[in-house]
Amino acid sequence: MAIKHISISALAILSVVVMGTSCKRGHDDTGTEFAPNMYEPVGYEPYKQTREHPYNAYGLNMRLPAKGTVARPNYHTSFGTGDSTVKDLMIYNIPADSIGIAERVLKNPVPSNEKTLEEGKVLYGRYCQHCHGEGGKGDGLVGKMYKGVPSYSADAYKTMNDGHIFHVITNGKGRMWPHGSQVTPEERWKIVHYVHKLQEG
Amino acid sequence: MYQQSMNKQFAMSRLSTFCGAFALSLAILVGSGQAMAQDSAAGGDPAAATSAPAGGGGDVEKGKSLFTNNCAQCHAASDEVVVGPGLKGVRQRTPGEDWLKKWIRNSQAVVASGDAYAVGVYNKFNKIAMSSFPNLSDSDITSILDYIDSANAAPAAAATAVPAAGGQATAAATSESPSNLFTFVLVALLVVMLLVLGVLLAIVSILSKAVTPAGGEGTTEAPFMQRLRDGLTNTINNPVARSIVIWIFLFVVVKSTLDGLYGIGIQQGYAPKQPIAYSHKLHAGQYKIDCNYCHTGANRGKSATIPSANICMNCHGVIKKESPEIQKIYAAIEQNRPIEWIRVHNLPDLAYFNHAQHANVGNIQCQTCHGEIEKMEVVEQRSSLTMGWCIDCHRKTEVNTKDNAYYDKLVALHRKESKEPLKVANIGGLECSKCHY
Repeated sequence: MAIKHISISALAILSVVVMGTSCKRGHDDTGTEFAPNMYEPVGYEPYKQTREHPYNAYGLNMRLPAKGTVARPNYHTSFGTGDSTVKDLMIYNIPADSIGIAERVLKNPVPSNEKTLEEGKVLYGRYCQHCHGEGGKGDGLVGKMYKGVPSYSADAYKTMNDGHIFHVITNGKGRMWPHGSQVTPEERWKIVHYVHKLQEG
Repeated sequence: MYQQSMNKQFAMSRLSTFCGAFALSLAILVGSGQAMAQDSAAGGDPAAATSAPAGGGGDVEKGKSLFTNNCAQCHAASDEVVVGPGLKGVRQRTPGEDWLKKWIRNSQAVVASGDAYAVGVYNKFNKIAMSSFPNLSDSDITSILDYIDSANAAPAAAATAVPAAGGQATAAATSESPSNLFTFVLVALLVVMLLVLGVLLAIVSILSKAVTPAGGEGTTEAPFMQRLRDGLTNTINNPVARSIVIWIFLFVVVKSTLDGLYGIGIQQGYAPKQPIAYSHKLHAGQYKIDCNYCHTGANRGKSATIPSANICMNCHGVIKKESPEIQKIYAAIEQNRPIEWIRVHNLPDLAYFNHAQHANVGNIQCQTCHGEIEKMEVVEQRSSLTMGWCIDCHRKTEVNTKDNAYYDKLVALHRKESKEPLKVANIGGLECSKCHY
């Protein structure tokens, strides 16, 4: 009789375990974590915020770089080899409203060749194409909704030079908003090469 | 016995008719869906066709091509405001054609000269400077204006009656189509339910006939219940049956417990509700915006990065500003407060992962690990992100050695030893310290 009782209670316990494990957790739940001490970072890491930072506003981990600092890859960049080497400081401080200066002063330091043009095409596909369209006609899927996206080969746009295009990508113009935070200066110059190709229609 | 099998056959035939009816109703549903799609396509056509006939003669044609090349990005030929004002009646409302020529060639100069009408237009349209078109000749501008006049005259006269009716019809069709579908589904469901009810009734009647012996109807319940009870007690008392049941039960219990234990720390299927109802299906799927446009770090650094509000504003400074979800971005910017997106893919700190290494160097598509993000309304963790999952991929994936001089010698060495292509596992993709240190 005692054995029977034991087996019955064992069955009951097991069934409780089954019910406990077989329930699917909800979509909002990360489930059980095994060793949080090893899972969660000790330092304050971007995008891994498990606790509030005591000193920053809103408990943020990330902060803006100190004013005037230049990212290392933008500090001193040289392109080409031999006599054709171009050195350029990849920082840009022409004010947003001075597009005329940019047009007069700037020249693309990235040499135009098949490789940079190909890279420019890839970058154009990432950052420009959804508005400006694959062929630069202003007919991208987003551009149709956004309205007012010009065609690069239109009369008023087909003569725009290096500095103008670079300045517009960096600071925006008209309805286009600045894209300087997304595209690095070097990438912008490569896009400029590709846009020149699209200007030919 | 014979009667029972007959009954079974009867039930089977009922079942098959039920299936047939179900298939038929499905077919009707699908067919009607196609018909509606065709309707809307046909309805869309006349509207498109009406915009085509406009004017005639070389001048207007030239004006049309000039207009589409230079003006159409910001102006409509009708009175609709796109970026700048609609150009319907522009000849009549402005100070004259000479003024228009000056304005088109250099609008900013006209505004700067203090011309009252120019300043008024400039201020009315949010001080957006119109591009200058110094290359347009007098005759070019005249033909553009001619085109605008003819574009407004032609559809106004010819296209009022027919396209208006057509337009209404298409509008009605598009607005009705979902409700049509809904009623179809309802009717089909109703039919299916009625059929199921009929089948169930038939089964009940057959069973009750089979159970009752031909004779007295008052004693139907008791013998059946009695037999059932007897049968059950017999099975319970049978040791073989009992042990089979217990063993199956134990097996299921052990299996599900082990599965549950292995699931600890795995967040597959995690799809938290985000502070803003952002849809990847709309942005990446429908509008085909590249992943890198917002997740700018995916090709450059360890983290793919979650976009800051200024990237949202690149489009939403103009598009759908009034939507309550997008107003949340505006509120965050005004208060200089971060939007607290919830991280979906949480790799434990004990494992190192770098996006650039995989996306840029390895040329791995985002979807390989993240699933079909472009079809997700709410982002969900599709892959398990377990170590076994990582290792499995490192064993299978070939290294992207093309046009990368770094790998040349490695590839040459590897060729000597093996005929297999160079896999990630061959260049240390299985070494502990690659990811754990």
